[in-house]
Parts: sequence; C-alpha cells; structure tokens
Amino acid sequence: MKIVVCVSHVPDTATRINVSGDGKNIDSTGVTYIVNPYDEFAIEEALKHKEKSGGETYVVSLGGDANKETIKKALAMGIDNGILLKDDSYRDSLSVAKALAAEIKSIGADLVFFGKQSVDYDSSAVGQLTAELLGMPLISVVVDLSVEGSKVTAEREIEGGKEVIETTLPCVITTQKGLNEPRYASLKGIMAAKKKIIEEKPALAVANYVELLQMKRPPAKEAGKIVGTDVSAVPELVRLLREEAKVI
Amino acid sequence: MIERRDQESIVNYLADASNFKGNCEKVLVPASKDEVKEAIIEAAAKNIPVTFSGAGTGLTGGRVPLGGWVISTEKLNRIIDIDTSNKTAAVEPGLLLSDFHAAISKIGLYYPPDPTEQNSTIGGNFATNASGAKSYKYGPTRSFIESAEIILPSGETFFLPQTKNCGNLLSMKSSSGKEYNIPVDDISMPEVKNASGYYIKRGMRDIDLFIGSEGTLGFVSEISLRLMDIPNEVISAVIFFESDINALDFIDDLRSLRNRNISINPSALEFFDKNSLEFLREDFPGIPNDALAAVWLENDCYNSDPDKVTDVLISFCEKHKANLSGSWFASDAKDRNKFQTFRHAVSYKVSEFISSKNMLKVGTDTAVPVQFFRKFLNDSINLVSGNEIRYVLYGHFGDCHMHLNMLPENQDQLRIAREIYSDIIDSAIEAGGTVSAEHGIGKIKKDYLLRMYGFESIKKMAYIKKILDSENLFGRGNIFTDLMFE
Ligand SMILES: Cc1cc2nc3c(=O)[nH]c(=O)nc-3n(C[C@H](O)[C@H](O)[C@H](O)COP(=O)(O)OP(=O)(O)OC[C@H]3O[C@@H](n4cnc5c(N)ncnc54)[C@H](O)[C@@H]3O)c2cc1C
Repeated sequence: MKIVVCVSHVPDTATRINVSGDGKNIDSTGVTYIVNPYDEFAIEEALKHKEKSGGETYVVSLGGDANKETIKKALAMGIDNGILLKDDSYRDSLSVAKALAAEIKSIGADLVFFGKQSVDYDSSAVGQLTAELLGMPLISVVVDLSVEGSKVTAEREIEGGKEVIETTLPCVITTQKGLNEPRYASLKGIMAAKKKIIEEKPALAVANYVELLQMKRPPAKEAGKIVGTDVSAVPELVRLLREEAKVI
Repeated sequence: MIERRDQESIVNYLADASNFKGNCEKVLVPASKDEVKEAIIEAAAKNIPVTFSGAGTGLTGGRVPLGGWVISTEKLNRIIDIDTSNKTAAVEPGLLLSDFHAAISKIGLYYPPDPTEQNSTIGGNFATNASGAKSYKYGPTRSFIESAEIILPSGETFFLPQTKNCGNLLSMKSSSGKEYNIPVDDISMPEVKNASGYYIKRGMRDIDLFIGSEGTLGFVSEISLRLMDIPNEVISAVIFFESDINALDFIDDLRSLRNRNISINPSALEFFDKNSLEFLREDFPGIPNDALAAVWLENDCYNSDPDKVTDVLISFCEKHKANLSGSWFASDAKDRNKFQTFRHAVSYKVSEFISSKNMLKVGTDTAVPVQFFRKFLNDSINLVSGNEIRYVLYGHFGDCHMHLNMLPENQDQLRIAREIYSDIIDSAIEAGGTVSAEHGIGKIKKDYLLRMYGFESIKKMAYIKKILDSENLFGRGNIFTDLMFE
C-alpha cells in the first residue's frame, strides 16, 4: 500500500502580509513559513493509517527550495519519503494539480491525502482537480475516516450537518480540522529524518490557465465610533444602526 | 484626561493576577506624559497616594491601590521610535509586550525578556524587573534597559542614561536642576536572579535603582530598550522523562556547560513536574502517558549550526534517558509558539484555578545558588507532599528558580499552605537565595523581604524612598510596611 500526502508551504497564519513592489506577490521579508495547517491533518492521517495497516508513505510538495522545510517536518513526523517538485514560478491550481497527478501516478499511490485547502491562495481546488486527473474518487472536507481492506468510509462536513460517504481504494481524501490531533515531530523522528534524502525533480511543465494580475490589500477597516458609555446612548445607537448602518 | 469613578469601571483596577484586592477613589487614564505630570502634581498637592497600573498581570498586588488614585498607562502605549542601526527602541510604558514583540520581529529584531505573560506592559516589566524563560541566557529586563525617563512625586523628571557610578553616591539632577544624592550603601544582594526590594550595589547605574522598584520611587514615562538581531534559527523542544530525577540531571548537565564553547547553549531551560503535566493534559493530548516530568528547551542559533545543536541535544536526551519517540521537536514557528503556549498554560491555569475558587495563590518565586538547588528542591517537595493540598511545581530551573504553587481549596488548607510557604522561604534564605526572583514583593511578600534582608537593609531602602518620595505617596503598601517607613 502506498500512501501519498501532498503538502504546501505557506505564510504563518499569525503574520501580517504585505504586497510586494510588483503587486503580484507577497513581500516575504519578516514572514515566517509553516506547513499548511490543514495538511498537518493529512500527514497525521497518513501516519495513523500506516501504523495501523502498514505501507509506505510519501510526502510531495511543489515549489521552491524553501518547501524543503515543510517536507522535512513531514519526514520528522514520520513520513518515509520526501519529494520536491521544483518550480519557483507562479502556478494556478490546475497546473499544480497536473504536476502532482503525474507524480502520484508514477508512485502508484493507493491512498492520497490533501489538506482541504491551502491557507495561502485558499482556492480549495487542488485536491479535487488532482483526483479528477487521476480518475480517482474523492471525498473532501473529511472529519472522520476509516479504511478497512479496500473499503473507505468517511464522514464529511456539509452545510449545516455531516454526511457519510463510502468508496473504495484507490481514492483521494482532503482533510479538515477535527479529523485528528497532529503530532509534533519527535526526537526520534528528527534523528530518522536526518537520514532521509529529499528527492528533487523539476515539476511537470504545463501552461497556466489563470493569470495573476494584481494583489491588493482589502480596504482598511474604518475606525469605530463610541456613541456613549451608558443607557442614555441607546436611542442614538438604535438610530445609527437603523439609519446609517442600516442593519436593523 | 479620562477619569473613572463609577464602581463598574474601576473594579477592573482593584485586583491583579494574584487576586489581591484593594480600593481607590478614582482611576486616571492620561494620554500623554504631561497629563501624567499634571495628575501627579495635583495628587501631591492634596497629599493623595497614587498607585500606577500597567496591565494588572502582576502576581504580588503591586498595582492594586490601597485607597487614593490610580494612574493607568493603558493609553500610553506607543512605540516612539525604533533605531534599527543602533538596535534600540524608545517606548511608552503602557505598550504591551506582545505588541512590541510583533512590531520588532517584523523588521528582524528581537527583545528576549519574555515574562510568560505577553499581555503585560513594558512599564510593568520595568517596575518589576520581569524576567522569563530566556533570562537564563540573556538576563532579566534590567539587562535590556538603556535609559528611561522618570517622573517624581514633585512632578519633576529625571532622564537617566546609561551612566555608571563608581562611588557610593548616586547623584541625579532633575529637570528643574535640583540635585538628589542617594547613598549606595551595599545591602549584599543574593547572587541569584532577584526582584526583591531595591537594587543597591556599588557600580550600579542610576537607572538600576528604579528598575524593579515596583512603582514606589517614580513613574516611568519613557523607556529605551536594547534590541538584538533575530537568531538565524531557534531550536525548541519539549522533552519528556519517565523520572523527574532524569529531567533534573539533564538540566544540571546542560547548565554545567553553560556558555562553554560547545555547540549547545540553551536560551531557556524550563522544568515541569508530573502535576503540572496533569494540569496540561486536557489541552495537550500529545503528552505521553508515562511522562513524569518534562523540560522545555530553546536554543537560539546565531553562529552555531542548528543541525549540530540538534545532534548534541539528542545525545544529552539519550544520556538522560528521555522519551525519544514521545518528546516534541518544533519544526517551525507555529510549533515553537505552541510550546510557548504550553509553558504559559501552566501559570495561566494555576491563576485561573485559584480565581475560580476565589482563593489566593500560595506560590513561591524563589531562586537559590546552584550548589544548593537540588537540596532546596528536595526539601521543598518533602514539605509539600504528605498533606492533601494540591500543588504544581515548575519553573525556570536553568536559573535555579522554582515556582511551587500550592492550590488550597479551603481556609484550612490555605493556612497550612502558608505555613509550608514560610518554611520554604526560610530554606531559600538559608541557602543564600531570594524570596522573589521575578514577580517582586508587592503587597503580599513584605514580611518575607524583611526576613531575607533584615531590618537594617530595609531601612536603607526606606531611606532612599524618603529622599525621593518623602510623603510615601507612590505605590503605597508595596515593598515596605508602615513600620519600615517610619
Ligand atoms: C500567567 C502569568 C505568568 C507570569 N509569568 C511571569 C514570568 O515568567 N516572569 C515574570 O517576571 N513575571 C511573570 N508574571 C507576572 C507579571 O506578568 C509581571 O510582573 C509583569 O511585569 C507585570 O506587568 P503589568 O503590566 O501587568 O504590571 P501591573 O501588574 O499592572 O503592575 C506591576 C507593578 O508595576 C508598577 N508599574 C506599572 N507601570 C508603571 C509605570 N509606568 N511606572 C512605575 N511603576 C509602574 C505597578 O505599580 C506595580 O507595582 C506572570 C503573570 C501571569 C498572570
């Protein structure tokens, strides 16, 4: 059984992002990068699956050299093999998916994990596109998963509730918070990771269908207004909510 | 200037994280130092005591007023200037430490003092000489203060730069040209991390007198801080042990190599006992079931090779039989923050637990010289075990600084906890240690300060206070009992 986890390397959700001079990128000075938080659930699930049923695990990431940090983390958490599909240029979701699908095919994966979305571009598309390109069934936004033999049962979040879906291997799963509690890298994992080599290869060259024209900050929030600090301010507050904010 | 008088809004200023409670006539919220001066001059003219309030995260009731007025720094929260070439920053006292850390890290700068409570103010850190995990390598807040501006009860100001004094007199000139001469009569401070009473030592800087003076000598209205470059990489790990002896040996071993030229040179070495881990388990399910102690370690890498540091760390872990497969190793900034949260959660949960029971925490803040630390620790554990009071033991063990927090659940237990506390303090003093290494004396540890220094030394401190604040208006009730002040 071969299990592949696809991970992205993203700005820390806690850092403030600025747009760079060319208006097409973020300014990376002072920005720290982390493993995409949703991908951590994917890594943890792959490890749990291997611990239960055995198999060989792979982490695949597409991007520049910096992505090796994220791959290293996955290796230190316990993933067996690391693959970097090198490309420093901007790619749209479909061209990322095409490169990943080609790699997953050549590995011959039975079970593929993605985070439900990457918190940089937030497109929530790469997992789905890859599944389609691979011709595999996909269950997205999974919060509970069981794999018995080749039977896969997953619970996924939907608007206002949950649904349970069954399919068979091979398949693609995208993971949501709540699925598991990702482990930290252990000292043993760190020692083992040092011996693992990250395989680097150029990402499959394909054309983008989407062009990034410009990045912009959302307009700054306007300052709040203190109408008063005791009950006497209530009538004025109600008037403003009705006439200015038009929310009541 | 905002003035708050109604109970509803002043109640927030009448306690701090120690849960010690007080009262006041009104709370003033100045928006500039001129407004602070104005308020101080008015209070002095009316002979009204003034207590300064930062964020109220203090653990000794320092900002809790016993009558009079409160001056809150909440609106004095600007970064005045960051000088990137000289690596200094000038800030107002009400600036939150978390905001400061965020602002400077964006431009690649670093300010190591990290009292676990990031919601504290720089002014509060100054006034308590706060320290934190990283004081192990870098020293307390004091080591990072370049200069400061102090407002005296007379409304005059001192601007105190970095000058050292060789003699036995601090000679300070105020803005109006008035000269204050303060005798430096050595009080033999302990050779450990210390935040008990005034700093009085030959060769001290003028400013040292005010750092850690808990709002009793002056209002600090502007502070200039020394900054450093952000390390190239930070190694951070939470290491679990199946025996507390192994964890303590691990710390001793690393400490004995401190600042020697070997690859590993931790900036933080923090210990957690099994009870602390129990407290944390609910929020951190990854704590291994068989863990009976843990050490959180950070190592800032400037010139050292992170891989080498990791190798050395692992060899120390193997030597002391750490749980290699269960220990946590941070892979990125997010993990590191999580480990800091882990550290913060212990202190925080203790405070929360105590407030929920509406009790007072009985917690030690003692540090002792390294050669006595293990014995002191064992004696303290012996004192506290063998009765029903719950306790958690953790702290900055790199600095031989122990927080043993007893969590009494009723008045009876509170009484016993206080007796144990008193015995622990005695053994810390006997070992040449301090009753407060970082939280200060405030209003709740005065008797122990007296025990530590003796009446003569306290009198020397009170003498200094009288020179600057003859009417005892500032921070009344902190450090000194009325008797000491007479
Ligand atoms: C969960 C938790 C963990 C903590 N961990 C640590 C720790 O690891 N290390 C540590 O050192 N402390 C620790 N503390 C204690 C506390 O955070 C520090 O004492 C902090 O420095 C207090 O800052 P503050 O702004 O809250 O000050 P406050 O509590 O508001 O005031 C503290 C003292 O400073 C004086 N003061 C405030 N502003 C001024 C001013 N402008 N001029 C003159 N005097 C002033 C006050 O009068 C008072 O005496 C912890 C507290 C909590 C709740």
